[in-house]
Amino acid sequence: MVESLFPKGTARFWTALLSILLAFAIGAVMIIVNGDNPILAYSTMIQSSLGSVNNLAATLAVATPLIFTGLSVAVAFRTGLDNIGSEGQLYMGAMAGALVGIYLKGLPTTVHITISILAGAIVGGLWGWIFGWLNVKLKVNLVVTTIMANYLGILFTSYLANYPFKPPRAPIGSTTFVQDSARLYRFFDSSTLNAGFLIALAMLVVYALFFNYTKFGFEWKTIGLNRFFARYIGMNIHRQMLWAMFASGGFAGIAGAVEVLGVQGRFVQNMSPGYGYDGILVALLAGNSAPGILAVSILFGALRIGGIGVEQVTNVPSELSSVLRAIIILLVAAQAVIFAFLKTRRKKHHELGSTVRS
Amino acid sequence: MTDIPMPLAIEMSGITKFYGNLAANDSIDLDVRVGEIHCLVGENGAGKTTLMNILYGLVHPDEGEIRIFGEPEHISNPMKASRLGIGMVHQHFKLVESYTVAENVILGQEPKKSLFIDRKAAYQITKDISAQYGLAVDPGALIQNLPVGVRQRVEILKTLYRGSKIIILDEPTAVLTPQETKDLFKTIGHLVEGGKTVVFITHKVKEVMAVADRVTVLRRGKRVGILERGNITETALTTMMVGREVMLEIDKKPKQLNGVLLRVNGLTAKGDRGNVVVKNVTFNCHRGEIVTIAGVEGNGQTELIEAITGLRKVLYGEVCINNENVANHSPAQVRAIGLAHVPADRISIGLCVKEKISENLIAGKHRSHTFQKGIFLDWKKIQEYSKKAVNDFDIRTPGCEELVQNLSGGNMQKVVLARELLFQSDLLVAVSPTRGVDVAAIEAIHQEILKARDSGRAILMVSTDLDEVLQLSDRILVMYNGEIVGEFDPKNTTREELGAYMIGARRQEKSTEAAVESVVTHG
Repeated sequence: MVESLFPKGTARFWTALLSILLAFAIGAVMIIVNGDNPILAYSTMIQSSLGSVNNLAATLAVATPLIFTGLSVAVAFRTGLDNIGSEGQLYMGAMAGALVGIYLKGLPTTVHITISILAGAIVGGLWGWIFGWLNVKLKVNLVVTTIMANYLGILFTSYLANYPFKPPRAPIGSTTFVQDSARLYRFFDSSTLNAGFLIALAMLVVYALFFNYTKFGFEWKTIGLNRFFARYIGMNIHRQMLWAMFASGGFAGIAGAVEVLGVQGRFVQNMSPGYGYDGILVALLAGNSAPGILAVSILFGALRIGGIGVEQVTNVPSELSSVLRAIIILLVAAQAVIFAFLKTRRKKHHELGSTVRS
Repeated sequence: MTDIPMPLAIEMSGITKFYGNLAANDSIDLDVRVGEIHCLVGENGAGKTTLMNILYGLVHPDEGEIRIFGEPEHISNPMKASRLGIGMVHQHFKLVESYTVAENVILGQEPKKSLFIDRKAAYQITKDISAQYGLAVDPGALIQNLPVGVRQRVEILKTLYRGSKIIILDEPTAVLTPQETKDLFKTIGHLVEGGKTVVFITHKVKEVMAVADRVTVLRRGKRVGILERGNITETALTTMMVGREVMLEIDKKPKQLNGVLLRVNGLTAKGDRGNVVVKNVTFNCHRGEIVTIAGVEGNGQTELIEAITGLRKVLYGEVCINNENVANHSPAQVRAIGLAHVPADRISIGLCVKEKISENLIAGKHRSHTFQKGIFLDWKKIQEYSKKAVNDFDIRTPGCEELVQNLSGGNMQKVVLARELLFQSDLLVAVSPTRGVDVAAIEAIHQEILKARDSGRAILMVSTDLDEVLQLSDRILVMYNGEIVGEFDPKNTTREELGAYMIGARRQEKSTEAAVESVVTHG
């Protein structure tokens, strides 16, 4: 299981922070080699991603889908399920949300939005549940099936957007626009930041409460930590794992639906630049904690938006942000190594704390 | 004590080590003579392992001096210890499973032929050392195919290859079957004959009596005494270890049977490798009775218990609890009908070690209304409940928010027992409930089990420890090769008789007839 490779608790926090700082340090070297001033580049980056209400809004707009997909992956990881099919689940949810948004008519706004998002959650959830079922009942490897499910989901929705639901004369594969009653409220004219961000914050709270304060959350967590114990103590592990897959796919589905109702206004093929895959990174870097998911999502958003600003002010190309993100990803992947390094160092300095037990 | 001036291999004096406010070692002295088997005994948490880790350079003492073969030494790390001729065999083996015995032995100090490892030499070296010390192993065998006892021998070979003169064995018998333990004692004999010095860490009194030349007893971080062979008695040792007389004989009320609770009929189940390892097992267990299944480990007891508790598929046969057939029910369903289960493997099955003590204590009850407040768990109530359980079962921990993985083995077992006994279910299935637990805790656990019996619950126990079997049981079933080969009243049997049945030398015929019958009916 992916989760077991990574450190826990505060160690997780420090290794994550270290990875990020190290990435910026490596980035600075690259900027210097490029003949630019890294301090100027980074201050511009911060200024243009967080420095004004408009810039902050742009950053949060990018963070919104990442919060949902981060939650999607985190739910699965905490239950010990390696669901990496969030991308496909996102597309399935987006299409479901779009269709309900288009074809249901005459509903009050709140009702229409709620139903559309729920449709996204349910269809995304089912797209997770199916592969959970294959895993639980037929022991089919979840990593393999969910990777494949991404392609199935992306290509199937792409087909729907290119053939049955394509409006005449549309230049690219897409559906028609959803009803006005299904549009999520936008806070500013200049930004796509919409009420979806508030839904994301609410979901973070729900997620944290669920895992820390409910009996089902306790079961999911226990299953993730020790499946054999969970079964022995009388938890219905298969049923709970299926629900967890449904919840995981559901969060990804909401990500898709919110993107449709709040940003694009319709389903567009290739609308996600890999939000589902980014969710894996968000969850890993955040250690599956709710505050962590929020922080990392905003960080990734700020990198994207800040990169554009950097390009306008300095000679550093906007690809800097992609490079930084890539380094962070590499370092996250190497987190297990960093963790091992810190552990041996600590052993040397403080000796074996556990030896007090004999 | 007569002090003949004998050369000392190890001389530790005034060793002190604090962890926070807790003195794990409080000015301990330890003298080990060259060529002796020196036992280091004490309860869990007495400071044995800390002391040995100091000697092995894994832990640095706050105070104290160490002399090895007369020379004052500062042992900064295990490499230094190894250079001084100290070798340690840990409780958890450090072997590469996919390598052969010879490869494991030479790992880190490989004999070379130009740039390459000289495998032939490795093979020969392993063969030579094993012949010299009578440690029978096949140098070409893969570790993953070897039983635990042989793996331990490989660990000992490793230390010998590195030229160790002093060999520390950290609770070496905890993982061994009775037969393997006997073999280990022989090995230790060979080592001493070969001029090695052995330090043997244990908390089992019987083993000390069997092997020790001298014993150093630790209690709560202090040395409380040294005994020489001849002065070592069971009561003297246990009194020193525990600090008071432990009731070795259990005071048992006469049993009061109250109807059959568990009826197992013709139970057959497969093992992990797909062969039938539980064969037509039939027995029952009454309310108010302790039925013990005795046997050498690996004769189908584990699988039998798993089949009864819903963790393993039942091929044929019935498992009736309160007249309800629960064969092939899920563990959840069996528990709902009235099962509490203390499994053999507490770390990977009996506990979730990465969760808190409180979470482990309420697991299984976490859905009950007592612990809910609306849709949320009532953590305050859970805290109160856990605190009480920690107190009642004397679980030694800073608090019930502690992760289970930070507890010692004995305290982990107490967490499992506390949880399972507090279920108040009709049937308690306990597998090796006192394995790896110190003397005082064993007594407490036995009392709890007897209390459960006297309150009219049925208890099915599995144990490889014959003393425990004879003391606690109301009825003994011996299991050999997947079958029940004999039934005994503990008052009318002896260790020797049970032993003969356990190794398959004898069997009672009627149980085979019953088995044949049930093959016909279920076949």
